[in-house]
Amino acid sequence: MAESDGLARIIIGCKKGDGECFSQIVDIYASRCYGYFYRLTGNSNVSDDLLSELFVKLVEKISSYKGGSFESWLFRIASNIFHDYLRGKQRRKKLLEVHKKQLESEPTETKRSEGEQFDRLQIQLKKLDTDTQELIMLRFYSQMSFKEIAAMRAEPIGTTLAKLHRGLKKLREVMEC
Amino acid sequence: MNRRKEENVKKLFEKFMEAEQAEKAVEDIRKGEQILRENPAPQPSDELIAGIKFEIAKGLLLRQTDVSGFRKTAYKIAAVAAAVMILAAISIKFFAKVDKPYKAVKFEYVSIIPTSIWESDDIATDDTDLAILNAEVEQIEGEMLALQSDENGGNSQRAVTELEMELIEIDSNFWKG
Repeated sequence: MAESDGLARIIIGCKKGDGECFSQIVDIYASRCYGYFYRLTGNSNVSDDLLSELFVKLVEKISSYKGGSFESWLFRIASNIFHDYLRGKQRRKKLLEVHKKQLESEPTETKRSEGEQFDRLQIQLKKLDTDTQELIMLRFYSQMSFKEIAAMRAEPIGTTLAKLHRGLKKLREVMEC
Repeated sequence: MNRRKEENVKKLFEKFMEAEQAEKAVEDIRKGEQILRENPAPQPSDELIAGIKFEIAKGLLLRQTDVSGFRKTAYKIAAVAAAVMILAAISIKFFAKVDKPYKAVKFEYVSIIPTSIWESDDIATDDTDLAILNAEVEQIEGEMLALQSDENGGNSQRAVTELEMELIEIDSNFWKG
């Protein structure tokens, strides 16, 4: 309760344009949001950019936050940013397909950054479809309830439960192989 | 604000499956999330966090500058609007005191044609006047031709003056009716 009161005070400060309160929000959520982006993109450079974009958007949109779950609101923005990134990636892929020669010479963003080592989980995650990956990461990093996730994804709660269950079960299977 | 802790996942699953299956599904989810906990994503670097905080501070500063600039403009506009309104109020009060009714501007014109000519019903007299005028014009025409051909022995200047005098006289006589 005290934790949520503290967060509420910080959010009020943010709405008033208090830089210190925004700084506290960054400290609280940067790690979780970075994890969310990293597990979905598998690229630290892209995750850096997306995290920066998220907090810039947070400053821009904080006045539109009208209460309720802050995590839900924040991760909705994070999810939109990730989807924008995916759309951009799709466009780039199409362009690269047209110019196959460039495809061979230009590294795509899904490739590892220089010297970056993927952990086993990151490799196995690629065996799941993007939607399931996103659902798992949203649930894990946002700490949102199933009800909130279902509402955010505009799908019945039964669908959310079934997708997450199947996804995590498959992830466990591939990780145990 | 975190509603996840309040959520009973088993009960949610039980809405869609039997108790035994629901229990197994919850266990699958727990084990799957345990894998995620055991394989944490990398943390955002301190430089990235510092960079984000700097960007936020810069953005807030710019926003405050914009707001104060907007306020200055708004105050100026308000001052000008107030001055215009006061002037308008004074003007209305001032003009309302004038007792004289409004007089429309009236345009008058004067015809260069003598009214007597237009109003005259004596066609015979008018015809005589016109006949005399015609004869005099013809005479002047002849004199002009004589002057042009220098028939009067080089005394042109005097002849022109006489001619002018004659024309003035004819003109005044004609318009007198």
